[in-house]
Amino acid sequence: MYGKGLKPLSIATVAMLALSLSLVFFYAPLDGDQGFIQKIFYLHVPLAMVALVGFIAGGVFAIAHLRTDNRKWDAYSYVSIHISVIFGVAVLITGAIWAKASWGHWWVWDEPTLVSFLIVFLLYATYYPFRYAIEDRDRQARYASVFAVTAGAFVPLNFMAVRMAQSLVHPRTFATAEGGLPGEMMLTFLVSLAAIALLWTTLVKFELTAKSASGQVKRLRRALDAPAGGGGSRIAPEVS
Amino acid sequence: MTPSRSAFAAILAKDLRSELRTLQSLPAMALFSVTTFVIFRFGLDRTSLSGSLAAGVLWATLLFAAVLGINRLFVAEREEGGFDAIRLAPIDRSVLFTAKVAALLVYLLALELVAVPIFAIFFLEDAAGLGPLVLVLVLTDLGLAATGTLISSMAVNSRARDLLVPLVLLPLAVPLMIAATGATEPLLSLGGPSYDRFGTWLMVLGLYDLIFGLVGYAVFDFLLED
Amino acid sequence: MELLFAAPALPLDKAGKYVAGAYVVFVVLLVVYLAIMAAKVQRIEKELRDVAAIAEEKKEAQAAPGRGSETPLASHGSGGGGTGV
Repeated sequence: MYGKGLKPLSIATVAMLALSLSLVFFYAPLDGDQGFIQKIFYLHVPLAMVALVGFIAGGVFAIAHLRTDNRKWDAYSYVSIHISVIFGVAVLITGAIWAKASWGHWWVWDEPTLVSFLIVFLLYATYYPFRYAIEDRDRQARYASVFAVTAGAFVPLNFMAVRMAQSLVHPRTFATAEGGLPGEMMLTFLVSLAAIALLWTTLVKFELTAKSASGQVKRLRRALDAPAGGGGSRIAPEVS
Repeated sequence: MTPSRSAFAAILAKDLRSELRTLQSLPAMALFSVTTFVIFRFGLDRTSLSGSLAAGVLWATLLFAAVLGINRLFVAEREEGGFDAIRLAPIDRSVLFTAKVAALLVYLLALELVAVPIFAIFFLEDAAGLGPLVLVLVLTDLGLAATGTLISSMAVNSRARDLLVPLVLLPLAVPLMIAATGATEPLLSLGGPSYDRFGTWLMVLGLYDLIFGLVGYAVFDFLLED
Repeated sequence: MELLFAAPALPLDKAGKYVAGAYVVFVVLLVVYLAIMAAKVQRIEKELRDVAAIAEEKKEAQAAPGRGSETPLASHGSGGGGTGV
């Protein structure tokens, strides 16, 4: 049921990724200041934006879970956060590589967006130990949703606070998509953004399918009154 | 008094009374703060602090003292079975949240009543910045109280509750710390207090308090249903 | 601190390594994720086979009620641990 549409989605994702890579390396012009290094942004910034939207989505799904008590929303929330955390790792590593290439240091505190992202990442990284420390399954799902809602509210506030902490002497040092990007760069950026967004959606769907299947196998086992095997996910979309 | 408000007052009174009864943690937290100041004196190799160093030392110490003290309010409740009585009472559970936040706020303010003057005695050249600092303290404590209550209410039902509260609370407290130190640094600067962006930082604190107060109030019901 | 204003353009050979590195990291993370998911899916398949076998046995047991077939299934320990990754 969750796997339906996964194949066309994956194909679309691969196609978009291929298109995006071609544009990045064959179409987009070379940046005046940063040169070839700037090309990292077509990867780094979309990953960051999609991850952040994913975190917020996790919070929205959590609200749905709290209101309807339908286990499916909890699974959506968990998987959204999970995939976004993985994307977050990629964001931080590519950000560090960019910093090293630009400034010779693997980390710079002057880049408020990157610093904010680190803090958000650190918070969501605590989602797992938090969740799995709660043993009762219903309570675990409920509390995890509360966490996801709180963390979702935290994201914009955190970005604002970190941005403000930047002393006015240090201006923003790289232009994101908001800054004036020439047309070809903008197109390349948008295509990359679409590709990464599609990738996120595909992976979320993939993970949900696996969890759903795992949960159903478990239910089958129980229905057949057989002793439980190893593994199987507790965070399954179907309520058992 | 409406039923909600009298319930609020009752719970608040009960918490404060149990805190006064145990009396252990407040002096302990004050002691912890003072010892931490001593460690900073040697760690930084400074005998007087001003500006950003002063703000950093003060707020780091207060934050860790708060985190250490935060679990207590809920741990005691759980162990004494107070939760059950409240669950059965026909009141809005979000009132419990408000009462807890208020109790934690009072607790933190009492801690600072001891720790901040000692900090001033140890490190500050002049105490002129302390007056406006009270405003920063109150607003930050409110944020810590709201978030701390929310997180510790969830952690108390988990296995690794001692680790969980600091682990989850610290990232959440970062914007508070950014704003608090941002406001405090110019207050404690060498030439006397300045109010560079003071209003802005206070607004950030207020915004944090509002958002997490509302979030906590809204979701607290879901934490107690069993 | 003029470095803050002008991120110097590295020569193409040096810059290329960093850009390639970033994309490589991305690909590696993706592939690792897919590998972990593949392992998970294999586990699900195995469980399905087990469950199908159990269902078969049950069917036989019902078809021949007097036979008293045993179902000596060893317990694999508690089910439902946390998910991987």
